Amino acid sequence: MNIEITPDMQEIFEEFIQEAEEILENLDQELIELENNPDDKELLNQIFRGMHTLKGGAGFLGLESVISLSHVMESIFDKLRNGSLQLDSSIMDAIFEGIDILKNSIASLKQHHQIPDTDEIKDILDKLHAVLEQKEPTDAASQNEQEPPAKQQEHNIQIVFKEGVDPDIQKLILSYPDKNIAEILDELILLPPEERDMDLIMKLDKIIEEQKDVDDFILEKKVVQKSEETPKATPPSPPVQKEPAPSSQKSPPKKVAKKEESETIRIDIERVSTLMNLVGELVLDRNRIVKLTSRFRANEENTETIEELNEAIAGMSRSVSDLQEVVMKLRMQPVKRIFSKFPRIVRDLAKKLGKKITLELEGEETEIDRSILNQLEDPLIHLVRNSIDHGIEMPQERVQKGKPETGTIVLSASQEGDRIIVSIEDDGRGIDAEKIKQKAVEKGLIKPEQAETMSDKEAYELIFMPGFSTVDKVSDLSGRGVGMDVVANVIHSLRGAIEIDSVPGEGTKITMKLPLTVAIIRTLMVGVNDRIFAIPLFSVVEIIKYNPEDIKDVGIYKSLMLRDEVYLFFPLNELFDLQNESENRFVIIINIGEKNIAIAVDDLYGEEEIVIKPLGEMLEDVEGIAGATITGDGKVVLILDIKSLINEKRSNLVGVI
Amino acid sequence: MKEIEVLGLNEHIQEELKEEKRVIAFLLNEEFIGIDIKNVTKITKRLDITPVPKTASYILGVMNLRGNIVPVVNLKKKLGLPNDDEKDQDFILIIESALGNVGLMIDQVVGAITIEEEDILPAPINSIGIDSKYITGVIVTNEEYGSKNLLILLDIEKLFEKSSKEESQQER
Repeated sequence: MNIEITPDMQEIFEEFIQEAEEILENLDQELIELENNPDDKELLNQIFRGMHTLKGGAGFLGLESVISLSHVMESIFDKLRNGSLQLDSSIMDAIFEGIDILKNSIASLKQHHQIPDTDEIKDILDKLHAVLEQKEPTDAASQNEQEPPAKQQEHNIQIVFKEGVDPDIQKLILSYPDKNIAEILDELILLPPEERDMDLIMKLDKIIEEQKDVDDFILEKKVVQKSEETPKATPPSPPVQKEPAPSSQKSPPKKVAKKEESETIRIDIERVSTLMNLVGELVLDRNRIVKLTSRFRANEENTETIEELNEAIAGMSRSVSDLQEVVMKLRMQPVKRIFSKFPRIVRDLAKKLGKKITLELEGEETEIDRSILNQLEDPLIHLVRNSIDHGIEMPQERVQKGKPETGTIVLSASQEGDRIIVSIEDDGRGIDAEKIKQKAVEKGLIKPEQAETMSDKEAYELIFMPGFSTVDKVSDLSGRGVGMDVVANVIHSLRGAIEIDSVPGEGTKITMKLPLTVAIIRTLMVGVNDRIFAIPLFSVVEIIKYNPEDIKDVGIYKSLMLRDEVYLFFPLNELFDLQNESENRFVIIINIGEKNIAIAVDDLYGEEEIVIKPLGEMLEDVEGIAGATITGDGKVVLILDIKSLINEKRSNLVGVI
Repeated sequence: MKEIEVLGLNEHIQEELKEEKRVIAFLLNEEFIGIDIKNVTKITKRLDITPVPKTASYILGVMNLRGNIVPVVNLKKKLGLPNDDEKDQDFILIIESALGNVGLMIDQVVGAITIEEEDILPAPINSIGIDSKYITGVIVTNEEYGSKNLLILLDIEKLFEKSSKEESQQER
């Protein structure tokens, strides 16, 4: 069924899509929760309201199949919450199936302006209707009860209309005496399709557009019975007569939702990005001005003016920093947005594999830059799937090992300074380091003698190497590996780090450390051969003076001794194939994941907060360069990516690095 | 629509008028070269260029163009022309390509000139030092620029197409 969207409906349409997507995403998580706490009335109400809102929006746009589907599901939730239907696994499966079809319909509506015909979804509709009629087949859907209470009130109230008011509108106002036009419109939309009068809906829509309301049509309103003296507090909505409890709960949240509406706005992400770029420019300009002023201070004799200028700049600096922070926060979203997908993934996959798994989510409110969050989703799904596939054992195997029958996966997020820590922990069978080594030797990734000296943790690192795993062989290994190099690459491209901890037989924990934001980072400015490079500060462990006596030749590469530790040592110019024209004077210890390495440079220019700019498509794949920035004096400085810089040397270095 | 069909002759003349083109013309050594004006963003004096290690030899580095990072290419080297030391080149032509903005080092700007599409001739093979795959065509000019009266029209789409990215990685 093609849905035509007129230009004036476009905005409503887009809002509906967005809202529907949000509702459906939340529903997944809420339903999993419900499965564990089938008697949670508050949760049931929440689920019911979500479905109700979805139906309302669909009704307004005339999306027949979506309306039918959400209507029957709403009715099921209604029965669940008033206790006339008991939740079981088969009902849940039917509901999930329905939700999936709703999701697909919304997706296809968004992309192709198409939804399935009602016939096409007949199977699921029948299934859901069967669920609905399981217990009390005669119980009609809640909507049908809407008429009696409304009509009853009609007699309690007398309304004198102004002249020239549309008789249809008069009738409506009489039917819903204590509702405003917007609320009446809601009620109409919620009517089943055959009772819904589209003309009336259009009329009401026009009234709202003209910013008129019921009062504009009424001369006088007489309340005949005193029960009507409190019209707003207890709006007698349909289910009141039968189930007073849920409906009285229903009205206050509705008001809360309205309040939120006026306090939040949706902003196009493009605009936020533009804002972000402008702030970035402003930060650079500020840096430039600060530098210029310091030059003035050296030359200028009028110290008083300089002082004033300094004060003004200090004030501006503060504002710019605050602005930068605020804009950065605009792009932040709670990890809940992607975490909420996991209960469903875990449930479905566990069921398919016949495993029993509980998923625990921690720190869902932790916020992280939207673009990082978006890129994090696939790796996380990958890792969680791996945990389910290969980590958690079958129930009987777990019992034999003396573990609880149900496995646990903990997905957690937290903030540590300017890093976000996301981890996935399972209590499955863990990773066998020996098998990994064996496999890596077989694949020719490491030499047998390297394997011997390798620690377990270094062995886990092998999993991230490209070419380590192939899909068919991984399952006989204890586990992970399918596309782990892809996962590591994504995390790395976000300037994050990933590491594995595992205790064989007890479980595995994969920890990812990610930056809060992608656009602005703190760096250390270093110089080699009169060129300046920026090293991200989070990877700098320590800085020491260069002393040739500390450097030893070990095989192909040099190494540095520092406090009984041995670090692999590279002069930065060698990494870039540059001639060494001046003397190395400093050594920077840099963390590249599991290990630290030592890099020698000529000069240090201190710390600077910089805005990362891409090098452009022509140079985007250049090894060792993460991007560039423009400094206070307008020069371009390249940002180093040490890890990719040593990548080509890495194959020789496995076991050492 | 019908009116135009009736006045078939008129239509023809209008079309010919539309086929005029403007190109930015400049010199590389003695060669007189033009780039379609719609590809040219800006002409600027030479600015600080930061070299980028581990790139193809014709890539000089990157520069700051109003807050954006733009790669700069030694055009002579890219086209395989001699005298490719860029030290004396003072002008950079910023063009818009499939790979984003790119700066081209050139010897001397001649200016914007108008050409007619029908005057464009196919590129003579091997008579000029530039690979003919990078050339849209040539135009015989009335005046003499450089040493010849031949304007070579460069094909920016071919010169900087997406696949040439791998090439730039390999050539280093």
